[in-house]
Amino acid sequence: MQQKILEIKNLSKNYGETVALANFSLDLEKGEVLGLLGPNGAGKTTLISILSGTLRGFTGSVMFKGQDLFADRNLRNLIGIVPQEMAFYEDLNALENLMFWGGLYAIPEKELKKRARELLVVVELSSRAKEPIKKFSGGMKRRLNIAIGLIHKPELLLLDEPTVGIDVQAKVSILDIIHGLGQQGTSVVFTTHQLAEVEQSCSRIAIMDKGTILAQGTLAELIRIVGEKEIVEVSGEFSADAFSAIIRRSDGNGMEILSVADHRAHLAFADSERIPAMMQHLFKHHLPIADLKIKSPNLEAVFLKMTGRSLRD
Amino acid sequence: MKKIWHIGFLDLKLTVKDKAFFFWMLAFPLIFILIFGNLFRGSKTDTKASLTVLNQDQGKWGAYFIDKLKSPGIELTVEATEPKEYFRMLLIPADFSAKIEKRAAQTLELKKDSDANLQAGAVAETKIAQAMVKLIAELVLYGNRDMGAFFDSRSPYRDLVLVRTRLPEGTITKVPSGFDHVIPGILVQFVMMMVLIYGGISVMEDRKRRVLARILYSSASFAELFAGKFLGRVLMGLLQSAILIVAGLLFFRLNLGNLWLTGLNILVFTLAMACLSIFVGSVLKKEELIVGVSVLTANMFAALGGCWWPIEIVPPAFRALGMISPAYWAMDVFHQVIFFGKGLETVWPNLLVLLAFTAVFMALALRFFKINE
Repeated sequence: MQQKILEIKNLSKNYGETVALANFSLDLEKGEVLGLLGPNGAGKTTLISILSGTLRGFTGSVMFKGQDLFADRNLRNLIGIVPQEMAFYEDLNALENLMFWGGLYAIPEKELKKRARELLVVVELSSRAKEPIKKFSGGMKRRLNIAIGLIHKPELLLLDEPTVGIDVQAKVSILDIIHGLGQQGTSVVFTTHQLAEVEQSCSRIAIMDKGTILAQGTLAELIRIVGEKEIVEVSGEFSADAFSAIIRRSDGNGMEILSVADHRAHLAFADSERIPAMMQHLFKHHLPIADLKIKSPNLEAVFLKMTGRSLRD
Repeated sequence: MKKIWHIGFLDLKLTVKDKAFFFWMLAFPLIFILIFGNLFRGSKTDTKASLTVLNQDQGKWGAYFIDKLKSPGIELTVEATEPKEYFRMLLIPADFSAKIEKRAAQTLELKKDSDANLQAGAVAETKIAQAMVKLIAELVLYGNRDMGAFFDSRSPYRDLVLVRTRLPEGTITKVPSGFDHVIPGILVQFVMMMVLIYGGISVMEDRKRRVLARILYSSASFAELFAGKFLGRVLMGLLQSAILIVAGLLFFRLNLGNLWLTGLNILVFTLAMACLSIFVGSVLKKEELIVGVSVLTANMFAALGGCWWPIEIVPPAFRALGMISPAYWAMDVFHQVIFFGKGLETVWPNLLVLLAFTAVFMALALRFFKINE
């Protein structure tokens, strides 16, 4: 049995009337890369803030390597945090930044310098180590942000939306780094609202919304929730009410409504032969359809089924 | 302690790395020092009441009168021919003794340089008046006798009259001036301005960029983070002070009096400003706002506190108002130590007041210091 590195039980946090986390529970094993998938406002950043020790006033427990994470400050030395913001000094170069952030841990200077140079190789910044960060691209800054979180060799790395605002190439590079960390035995939790990212780099995926975990498992396990159904995405100049009214007038056999919003709806069909009949029904009622896509079961379908809404909504 | 130093030293390093650092911390204050120093330039060599006497008298009474002018408070120079430079010169004419012996009225001429210090001039003029009163009194007592016998050392009328001048209580007899006043003044002003601007902006930016939060993610505690930020601003203030002191010693022959006391004064004043800068950076959210508030606060405190002109020359009401400024208390310590040679027994209340300012600003900084926006 794998060793559990993180055990979160019944974590709850409210901001006034707003529920940010509601009995949130999650386990993580050593070397596991967990993608925490959820729309904006799902509670992902609140979770990271609590785990990083900067947010108080919550209930529930967090055990790290079998010990209460908040009872012993030294446990924090074993956790690395990569915030969503580029939280470092732009007036220093990459090497100086790593030396500063590493200096906050009791790492001997010689060892710290060696570690910093190693990390610059890992994040592909070794040739730019002494250049002003102001000249760095968004992707380079993101990679440095991750390197800072790794400077003290944490056993658990928490990344909050590490790929926001960067191009595809930079994203691939960062996801490769994350994947590599898992293979080296570092446990990773990273939050995102990008389905492709978790599909690509996570050993386990948790879908969260409204402060709670809706489903978790490997990609294959999650897709089984939807079953072997065809997913149809309908988009056009229609309202959610108009779409729902027309659908109610059909026989609806073998069809499941995954999500309905203004301008976009998702339907799941157990039998793909029923799709043309349904489309005919929609056209017959003059629903202004602009586009129609038929997809195989995927993580997006699982997300739609679990949350009732698309990540883009 | 290591983490506190690590956090604090980085703030100092970032300040020094700033491209405009040497302009703001050295060139700009030097411009102020030159302007204000030259405004008080005449005072540099004239703080002691100097008096040049051009004695052209053919008899004994001229030298006797000069003897009456001698006093510890007067720097007296006697010349036979008119010198090129002087602050003030008393002319004793060739017929001075002859007119005395003939009991004839006469007028003495006092020439003054336009740059001469007024306070020093007043002291010299008082001394001349005292000497005249003494001489006239002796002449009144001896006037009917043999004038030649007067200079006999046994004459009972010689040095018979003592004239004492008493000034009203609280009269300021000496006003600190010259570069020894201006450099500490500009130092106090720029420690305020630079610590508030650099220190305030970096607190605000670190909060906005979530750097403060990230420091807390590490093993640093809130107390270590706050203490580190406080130390960083103290180091900024001490660096600014050191730059101006070195420049003052190299270029203006700055006299600091008791070095330990002036150093202690700078340190205590910097502690107050370090706390105030954290408060400013915590409550203000925009760089331009921090610069505006800092420049306004520093200049207002500088003007009220007597950094630009000696507080001794302003009306008493304005002097009382100046007490709301920490600069007032720091400048008073500089004046007491540099110009009046006072020690800790005189300036400790000022240092306590500065520590009280530190306590108030520290309480404000702790109350408003935020990790997140």
